[in-house]
Amino acid sequence: MEITMKKSILYSLMAAALLAGCGLFSSCEKVSPTGVLIGNTSVDDRVKQSMIYYAYHGEDLDWFLVDSIEEYSFLVGSDSHITFDPGRLAEMAEIGLENGDLFYCHLGDLADTKPEYYYNTKAALYNATRLWRNKYLEPLIDEYHKAEDAMFYDKRIKRDTRNFARAWYDWELPFYPVVGNHDITHNGWSLFCDQFKTSFYEFTVQVGDSYDRFIFLDSANGTLGDFQTDEIDKNALQNDDKPIRNTFTFTHTNIFRPSMNEFASTYCREELYYLLNKLKEWNTTIAFWGHVHAWDDRMFNDVRHITMPSMNFKDHPNGGDDLLVRVTVKKDGSCEMERVGLHCKEMSKKELEELGYYVTTK
Amino acid sequence: MASIQRLALSLMLILAATTAVAQYYSGEHTFDGEHRNEASLSVTTGKNILIGASIGNTMHYKHYFNNHWSVDGGMNMQYSKQLYGVKAKGEYQFKVRSFHMFASAEFLYNRYVKYKTNEIDGNISIRFERGYWDITLGETLINYTIGESCYTELPTLTFGAHATLRPRTNNWNVGLLFRNYDDFYYENWNINWGLDFYYKINPTWKLFGEFNIRPAGSMSQLASKYETTGKVGLIYRWK
Repeated sequence: MEITMKKSILYSLMAAALLAGCGLFSSCEKVSPTGVLIGNTSVDDRVKQSMIYYAYHGEDLDWFLVDSIEEYSFLVGSDSHITFDPGRLAEMAEIGLENGDLFYCHLGDLADTKPEYYYNTKAALYNATRLWRNKYLEPLIDEYHKAEDAMFYDKRIKRDTRNFARAWYDWELPFYPVVGNHDITHNGWSLFCDQFKTSFYEFTVQVGDSYDRFIFLDSANGTLGDFQTDEIDKNALQNDDKPIRNTFTFTHTNIFRPSMNEFASTYCREELYYLLNKLKEWNTTIAFWGHVHAWDDRMFNDVRHITMPSMNFKDHPNGGDDLLVRVTVKKDGSCEMERVGLHCKEMSKKELEELGYYVTTK
Repeated sequence: MASIQRLALSLMLILAATTAVAQYYSGEHTFDGEHRNEASLSVTTGKNILIGASIGNTMHYKHYFNNHWSVDGGMNMQYSKQLYGVKAKGEYQFKVRSFHMFASAEFLYNRYVKYKTNEIDGNISIRFERGYWDITLGETLINYTIGESCYTELPTLTFGAHATLRPRTNNWNVGLLFRNYDDFYYENWNINWGLDFYYKINPTWKLFGEFNIRPAGSMSQLASKYETTGKVGLIYRWK
């Protein structure tokens, strides 16, 4: 009997060791086995929180374009896994500014979850916001000042101008991320939602009488969860009644495995088929996926599926010509996709410190 | 002694039934000292994030041609899920030192009516079995068709581990398992955790069951479940 018990204990230990090994060999690295095994929040909790935020601020997310704009573009990046150096994210923002991209989308695993990493991420986005305001808002404010002068310091106009400037300075860089599995471990969700507020949301871009719809789904746990799928089925996101021209979806966990050695956590079978049917129902033009740090481009069920490579320094220390994707939506609704490079090198801790970033951790 | 075993078994059943709902698993037919043809019927219930509560049943038949070769046939009917599946499996058993080895090839077809999806899986596996544990390793090809689109996933590693409290020849047993497949599905990296049991009522009838949790991917494991399932059934065995 004693021998039997010893054997049972031995086999339990073997099973536990095998389990720990499974955790260690999952696709996303830089995380402890316990971090892989247990996220600090459930997808249901995050989506409930997001829906409350979305109920109050959903309409603020929408972009309304005037008829004179013939086309627009947006940039997509994935898996930046920022630690000390947020250079790749800053470079993405600069590229977007240079090209005049309307906004940015990110497919999750924005930063590895430590407060100092999020501080650096936040700092990089704040710098990008300043540049973005300088480019797009300052000229508008100058216009208002000129109008103000022309009106001989009309007090009413002057007050309007101040309000206008204040309102516009509340605008942040139009950066729309989804939450990734690294964004929820080690209390990461609190860091993520402090900056980005929501993990499940959508907005539209209006061009003439038509709308392009952008849907962001929370799959950081490898599942959409029952609350989110219920909300999707109830059409809880508000834009179902608009005349939609293109739909683009963004989420972290991928469906398609680019290679055999990618042990990415794909969705459970039924959920996978549910999601593929839902994308078709939405008449999705492009569905973007992250997580596996590898490129894949395929058509399935009339939907183009793009799985993105990572943009972090660890995977691509020398950068690459194809780490981002730019989608240009033409006036007639057709879309063109091009791959965009990131080339900045990781800075030394000394250089980062001089720029005001945190470079030490305990 | 027998009454203690029955009491323990009943307690485990009650405990498992209160913590998990059922899975459509018809039980791996391990070698317990003799080869007998088997037919089983089980009731299955479960709950997952898409459907909620579900009920169904599975049927299974295993025929031995001799001490080495056998064939399996199974049918899965999940009424609430609108999921229907059939499978066929051929197996060859041999012995290497003290290991019982089972080499098998399986074909599985699933129809997900609700999601208009046809799925075809092909698997080859080898199972190493000792008195208290077994390990399965294999490769699976998963193909699915939705509308006019068809996709075959790259080969997926199939793995499973199972340890039991008592030796396989015992007339009752309880085991723990984890694996990325079950009787009627194969997954990529989603590990299925479970507790299974059997109790030989007499030489021809055997009560069996399994209760398990299917987490939503490797990033969740037990923290974020996709499905809790289980099953209880009877196996009829004859020479």
